[in-house]
Amino acid sequence: MSRIIDVGLEELSVMLCRMGELTYQAISLSLKGCLNGTNEYSQVCEMSDALVSMSEQAEDKAFELIARFQPVASDLRTIKSYMKIAYDFARYGRYALDISYINEQYGGLKHCEPWISEHIEKMSEKVLGMVKTSTDSLRNHDVKLAETISSTEKEVDDMYFRYLDELVKRASGTSKCTISSVLIVRYLERIADHATYICESVVYIATGQKVNLR
Amino acid sequence: MVSLAYLALIAALIPLASILVETILRGLSAVSFSFFLEEIPPLGEPGGGIGPAIQGTLIVVALASSIGVPVGVFSGIYLAEFRHARIATVARFLNDVLTNVPSIVLGIFGWTLVVVAIGWSVIAGAIALAIMMIPIVTRTTEEAIRLVPATMREAAIALGVPRWKTTLTVVLSSAKKGIATGILLSVARISGETAPLLLTILGSRFWFSGFTQPTAALPVTVFNFSQSPFRLVDWPRAWGASLILIFIILIINIIVRYATREKYGASNI
Amino acid sequence: MIYKIDIENLNAWFGSKQVLRDITMKIKENMVTAIIGPSGCGKTTLIRCLNRMHELIPGARVTGRVLLDGGDIYGEGVDPVTVRRKIGMVFQKPNPFPMMSIYDNTVAGLKLNGVSDKHRLDETVEKSLKAAHLWDEVKADLEKSGASLSGGQQQRLCIARALAIEPEVILMDEPTSALDPTAASKIEQLIRVLAQDYTVIIVTHNMQQAARVSDCTAFLYLGKLVEYGSTKDLFENPKSELTEKYITGEFG
Repeated sequence: MSRIIDVGLEELSVMLCRMGELTYQAISLSLKGCLNGTNEYSQVCEMSDALVSMSEQAEDKAFELIARFQPVASDLRTIKSYMKIAYDFARYGRYALDISYINEQYGGLKHCEPWISEHIEKMSEKVLGMVKTSTDSLRNHDVKLAETISSTEKEVDDMYFRYLDELVKRASGTSKCTISSVLIVRYLERIADHATYICESVVYIATGQKVNLR
Repeated sequence: MVSLAYLALIAALIPLASILVETILRGLSAVSFSFFLEEIPPLGEPGGGIGPAIQGTLIVVALASSIGVPVGVFSGIYLAEFRHARIATVARFLNDVLTNVPSIVLGIFGWTLVVVAIGWSVIAGAIALAIMMIPIVTRTTEEAIRLVPATMREAAIALGVPRWKTTLTVVLSSAKKGIATGILLSVARISGETAPLLLTILGSRFWFSGFTQPTAALPVTVFNFSQSPFRLVDWPRAWGASLILIFIILIINIIVRYATREKYGASNI
Repeated sequence: MIYKIDIENLNAWFGSKQVLRDITMKIKENMVTAIIGPSGCGKTTLIRCLNRMHELIPGARVTGRVLLDGGDIYGEGVDPVTVRRKIGMVFQKPNPFPMMSIYDNTVAGLKLNGVSDKHRLDETVEKSLKAAHLWDEVKADLEKSGASLSGGQQQRLCIARALAIEPEVILMDEPTSALDPTAASKIEQLIRVLAQDYTVIIVTHNMQQAARVSDCTAFLYLGKLVEYGSTKDLFENPKSELTEKYITGEFG
């Protein structure tokens, strides 16, 4: 027989995995929109709202598990981390939404100089990879996978600062492009940070250690 | 203080021990194979045995038990199950009184009830002894049943077993050792009673000849032989019969002790 | 939502002392309902009214209706014995019949009611012991005395015994309070499994157990039903201040 709490933990885990898939879709959709110049705002908005509501449900569920089942040790760490991760996923949704908003308002990157859209495309790829790493490592509490995010995080940080430097140096292009791109790389960097937080939480769940992967 | 208790214990054991020793010493000489099998001779005549007395005791006690045991057990069950009914309180009180009625009174009762009607008979003796037996069996049965924990009853009732069935199966099954002990002890008790038999079965020298006829019995035979003027011939026989009687009672007690030492095993309902 | 048991205006007395006051509640089918409350609040009396065992106590009295699938178990001409075959009970202290084997204990309810078909009894023994998650531990020793098992095993044997008569509802009166934590936890898991096929009502003085095991919880105080709702709501956000005080440990 399984423990009584296992049913609840399984439900919570399933909720988070669904959120993880949805965030990946939302972020990749909004980035695609930016790079191709298509307006995905309303779709991304729906996804973001869904993510917020799901994160509230997940928090609620976690709260119930604590009230009813007196979890301890790894169960308690799991539930605490899941609550944080649900929030992180909701943040993903927000950033995806913000990126789509920029796209809608200022026209995206299709008409920007090639070096800008190239840079951002590269960064997007890396960041999407990090999002995938975070959701995959969460699904199986895979510590090894979670730790690999550390190197990618550094790369993305690098790319972020290098882009800002380049932009200052070149100081060219339309102001729409400048603003859009700066904001977009900013959001990308934040998404990367949250992906790292998620991976740190995964390590915490599995080992009880609080690590710094940034 | 402890030494005082020791002394008291020894003082209590001396008469018990001496009875056994005396009976064995004086009675053993009379006991022989023929002692068990031959008819009772007239007073003073040598030879013979106390066969009929043993037979008589067995028959009268068996008959008395066949009346006393069912009545006693079922009364005990009633008193245990309907503890607070008014009739139960009255019955319990009367039962306790009956336990202490002098046995000669029971003898007279048997005489008045049966002997006057049909004459000296085994039936009269059995009835008198049964009346002696009933209060003891009732009381021990009631106590044995009350000792059965309420949780056992509840468990059976919660399974949808009607109350009467619970009592007759689960409760009795659990109490049966206690009830059996009570029955055996009361049988041992009545085997040795003399007064009721003197006034009901009269006593005889011959083998059993019918339920409405007098018969021999061990206590009566002991009495008769002990009153005989032919001391040399008859007194040893009296001791011999006493020895047999004590022996029977001892056996019954040993059986009871052994039986109650058994552990509970799986049994059928 | 199907209501298995519908309690209407239930009052109960021990002689002149009133123990339950106007209890009205509906118990849902295939769920675990817990009844909690401080000592003396009437929770044991309440479940004993549900299988008509309260009235066995001399001087006990019950008024009100208790509907099982719509039929009042206190109705005219209803035989309490048939009620108890549909509503089984497991007690606080495990009470297997000591003079019977594990096999006989399990089917005691059937044998005592006249079933003697060996094939049917064999089947029932296996089915019930499996349902009580005891089969694997005892299948090689069915002839051993029921009292030779450990406390937790004895309680599971009592559960098997209750299941063997195929009730629809199972009442449990503090089923784990006489057991050690590991055995208790096994019973709790078993209760959750049983709820899939039966309606379970459990009385417990251990609030955390009620929180873990039940879907709905009722809080009784001095014979009155103070609050009754889903366990989640009652433990996260009780509606009544009295409930809040009790579950946070301010009294009781």
